[in-house]
Amino acid sequence: MRGYLGVDVGSVSTNIVLIDENENVIETLYIRTQGQPIAAVQRGLEYIRDRIPSGIEIGGIGTTGSGRHLSGIIVGADSVKNEITTHAVAASKLVPGVQTVFEIGGQDSKIIILRNGVVADFAMNTVCAAGTGSFLDQQAARLGIPIEDFGSIALKSKSPVRIAGRCSVFAESDMIHKQQMGHNLADILAGLCEALVRNYLNNVGKGKEILAPVAFQGGVAANVGIKRAFEKALGLEITVPPHFNVMGAVGAAMLARETANKTGRTKFKGFEVAEEKFRAASFECGDCPNLCEVIEISGHGRILARWNDKCGKWSNAEITGVKRNRIENLA
Amino acid sequence: MRLKVGIPRALLYYYYYPMWKGFFTALGAEVIVSSRTTKDILDKGVKQAVDEACLPVKLFFGHVLDLKDRVDCLFIPRIVSVERKAYICPKFLGLPDMVRHNIPHLPPVIDVTVNMCRKEKNLYKAFGEAGKIFTGNPFSIRKAFKYGLEEQERFERLNRVGFLPHESIEKMNKGLVAQNCSPHQHGEMTLALIGHGYNIFDSYISMNLIGKLRDMGVRVVTADNLSGSIIEDRSNELPKRLFWSLGKRMIGSAFHFMRSDGIDGIIHVASFGCGPDSFTGEIIERHMRRRGSAPLLNLTIDEHTGEAGIVTRLEAFIDMIRWRRAAQ
Repeated sequence: MRGYLGVDVGSVSTNIVLIDENENVIETLYIRTQGQPIAAVQRGLEYIRDRIPSGIEIGGIGTTGSGRHLSGIIVGADSVKNEITTHAVAASKLVPGVQTVFEIGGQDSKIIILRNGVVADFAMNTVCAAGTGSFLDQQAARLGIPIEDFGSIALKSKSPVRIAGRCSVFAESDMIHKQQMGHNLADILAGLCEALVRNYLNNVGKGKEILAPVAFQGGVAANVGIKRAFEKALGLEITVPPHFNVMGAVGAAMLARETANKTGRTKFKGFEVAEEKFRAASFECGDCPNLCEVIEISGHGRILARWNDKCGKWSNAEITGVKRNRIENLA
Repeated sequence: MRLKVGIPRALLYYYYYPMWKGFFTALGAEVIVSSRTTKDILDKGVKQAVDEACLPVKLFFGHVLDLKDRVDCLFIPRIVSVERKAYICPKFLGLPDMVRHNIPHLPPVIDVTVNMCRKEKNLYKAFGEAGKIFTGNPFSIRKAFKYGLEEQERFERLNRVGFLPHESIEKMNKGLVAQNCSPHQHGEMTLALIGHGYNIFDSYISMNLIGKLRDMGVRVVTADNLSGSIIEDRSNELPKRLFWSLGKRMIGSAFHFMRSDGIDGIIHVASFGCGPDSFTGEIIERHMRRRGSAPLLNLTIDEHTGEAGIVTRLEAFIDMIRWRRAAQ
């Protein structure tokens, strides 16, 4: 039987899932990226390889997340898709009839509106990360509680305090103030949950028609305090689907299956990539005043890809001897 | 020796450059445009400009700095109004003053006032005044003014045929006078781009938005491809007449595109910190939602926007349109 891999490389976590031909999720993995996307993908693949049930052969692999291009090159992806599309694909298949998807990750949050199984509208947070997981992470660290316990403690609150959630810098000073006033931990945590939800609904969800069923996914969906704050604010029941924290990877695997079925083969380089040495380097191109910081991935003594140049001369260029010399000179 | 007149490649350059160039060259001057925007130009502009200004104004400063040492004078008109009963952004009418007070060692600045709010004929007043710097002969000035208007008309005709303003300017610089057939654009879908010309046609500021869309198989149309009367008619659907010319242009064109069959979606590009943009985006979004027509994507561009964020949103938007089509 064939299996399909989905790899979601986000700012905070790297997720890998394996699905079968009928889109059942067989194996999931959630690890922290820790700022090293290549190492995280390699680690993840190694882990998954040891857990693949016998008789399953990889028929395709797809990548997504902010590190999708990088990881796509490392693994030889069949499909490289943005995280909005993959989250929508996964939700529409795993949550029957879903009309609204909330996704809150480490650095970004999004809302996806589906109607009749098709994406009708979406929005993502703008430059600010106030309403995202890293905000909760920081506050939890400040209060000295493990993030895993955040939600359950918040649920014990009787009267949540009001904390300004518009900006995480303000929220922090507001929170410290509330602590000094003597509010208890549960009320403060519940207040943080409500602040995040308020900020999300006013910012990302602004003007969107939020209809049930609502699916809540992304790493933050693990926090029951946030789920309850959403239910309280909207008066709707919120569904946290199974595999909520790896939904992007599930969508990527589904799209990889689609692509591989169309082309009839996979570009997957095999699990050996987990042992290969890849090197990511960057150099500043000095050919024009834009001074692009070009990123370059090499492995096996060969340059595999380059990107991040505005004019496309590095990303499109065939890597010829002359160019390679120049790069070595620059590096 | 011919006098060198410098025109910064920023702000209203994307709307009126052909006219300005026509006028000054007809008077025997040489027109010099600043280089295309680079990181360096933007950085210098941001450093020199007042902090409260929006990104496009800061960029204008960068272009002035790029030009100032290689021209005899700079053309920075004080543009108050370009049509009856409507105004240009207040930041533009303070532009010559802002530039003069923030950038030392400037060559002389031609800062004639264009205010057509009461009388459209006032346009000539401005150019008549600017012309006096070059010649004492009022007939030559009148002739140059007429030539400038003709060039502008040619420019707008090229835009209506389907070229985007920066392409029309390039075509005219290469000597093209007129073209009747539309330029060929490949693509599987057509998206309307609603935003200020100085944001969307500056490929550095927009992070090559138009190029990216075209690479993804999208044909791009903008307000510039429409006639002024369509924009005027459509924007009149609002209960109260808009008195910002540029905002009216965005709303009028969006209202037109949202009911055109050939348009698969609309992308609204706002500059971070632009007051009028925050309104236009909202008004367009509400009207589109009420109609339930083509999908809308709101993009905010800023000095420090990561390119990845823009690409993710564009890709998702295009995926959504493809997905919708496949479902129909």
